[in-house]
Amino acid sequence: MVGIALALPAGLWILQVNMDEMSAQWEGRPGLSVYFTLQADNASVAAVQGYLEEQQNIDRVELTTAKDALEEFKTYSGLGSALDLLGSNPLPASLQARFAQSIGPIEVESLMSATQALAGVAEVVVEKTWLERLNELSRVVSRLGAMLAVLFGLGAVLVTASSVRLAIEARLDELRVLKLVGATPGQVRRPFLYFGAIYGFGGGVVAAMLIAVTILVIEPPLQGLLGSYQQTLDLAGFDPLFLTVLLLVGSGLGILGALVAVGQRIRDLEVV
Amino acid sequence: MGHIRLQRVTKRFENGFEALSEVTTEFAAGSMTFLTGHSGAGKSTFLKLLIRADTPTRGQILVNDVDIGGLSAARLPLYRRHIGVVFQDHHLLAARTVFDNVAMPLRVAGMREREVARRVRASLTTVELLGKEGLLPSHLSTGEQQRIGIARAVVTRPRILLADEPTGNLDPDLSRHIMDLFTRFNQVGTTVIVASHDIDLIETMGLRILHLEDGRVVSDRTSDPGTQSAAQSDQADSVEVGS
Repeated sequence: MVGIALALPAGLWILQVNMDEMSAQWEGRPGLSVYFTLQADNASVAAVQGYLEEQQNIDRVELTTAKDALEEFKTYSGLGSALDLLGSNPLPASLQARFAQSIGPIEVESLMSATQALAGVAEVVVEKTWLERLNELSRVVSRLGAMLAVLFGLGAVLVTASSVRLAIEARLDELRVLKLVGATPGQVRRPFLYFGAIYGFGGGVVAAMLIAVTILVIEPPLQGLLGSYQQTLDLAGFDPLFLTVLLLVGSGLGILGALVAVGQRIRDLEVV
Repeated sequence: MGHIRLQRVTKRFENGFEALSEVTTEFAAGSMTFLTGHSGAGKSTFLKLLIRADTPTRGQILVNDVDIGGLSAARLPLYRRHIGVVFQDHHLLAARTVFDNVAMPLRVAGMREREVARRVRASLTTVELLGKEGLLPSHLSTGEQQRIGIARAVVTRPRILLADEPTGNLDPDLSRHIMDLFTRFNQVGTTVIVASHDIDLIETMGLRILHLEDGRVVSDRTSDPGTQSAAQSDQADSVEVGS
């Protein structure tokens, strides 16, 4: 139980670390797409492209001509022969502009309005890229991890406390004798604190094993997914420092659970 | 050391039952006293208050002029290390060897293992059970288990030795033997208080008898001293504990 309680927040922490790492490595940035009307001529397209390239907030502009769009569509949709039946190209030309990193939401809005007003422009779409979503997801995972750490940490404390209570009940006779012969509260508590620490440490080991197995299971498909975005996966976070902290946190929670269980029970225990 | 004084001690439980009522008495250091009385007379409560397993509702218990009712949680264990307690059912730990049972108070006191071993052997010699230190209590007879309980109680050379019905489960010969052991500890200066209803045996000991009825001391007398001399002369030799 303690292992599972530790594995969830610790696993989410590793997930968040890797999402941050991934977004830092990601080359794409948010941008806008400009879709032209079917009637827009090359001059209009070139004018809009020129306008965007002059903007300081725009880092890069790429043109997809109507012909390129049709070829791309044929390739990915598998509807090539059907499209051949059409007399004309139904797809418009478009521009993909990538924002500079420093652009703010007001500038985006202003740029969007100005571009929309240019001749031949049918629609301007500001894209929240996959990267932005990844960052937001990372923030969600981070906060979820923090909440789960608190909740499951509390759960680990209560589970340990419950186990220590059972251990105390099993040794009541011994504890009574210990108190009778003059054992201090610290002496009576100590074995149970050791028990709690070992219990929590064991939970940490189980959590590490669960996370390791999870990584082994999800790494190959994740590699494949990221490969399709020309990204490589180098999972970070599951290192000696992480393991040490995990084991220390496990032991700490175990001791806390033991303290919760032992405090009241030992104090109120009658010697005879 | 080992001087005990009770001043108007009353113990009333939450259900209203008054186990001790206005008990005032004194036990000189190095004295030996029997507490007698029927079941429910207050003997066990009397001993519980002395080991501070409970506190009086009213009154004071002074041990060497210190009110034990006022002992802090930190000082209480130190007080208990000066008291040996023997129970009718001996309270031995079944999963621990005789040696470990007897050694427990010494280890709690932080004594070195070498000294622990020496004292445990001395204590077992006193109760004539040396050689059985490796056995579990379940491998011993009832009388032997009781003597192990006594060995554990005296291994720290306590100033005060309390016993609650120590001969309750024993035949007359074993009972006599156990009582003689208490007498020998008393002879080396330990204050001994034994709660017992074995009045026939006690009358032969020639010692102080405090009789309780309904939580009150109704008589405080000394039994036939001639019998006491005879009993003690048989056991005059080789008192190991306290040596």
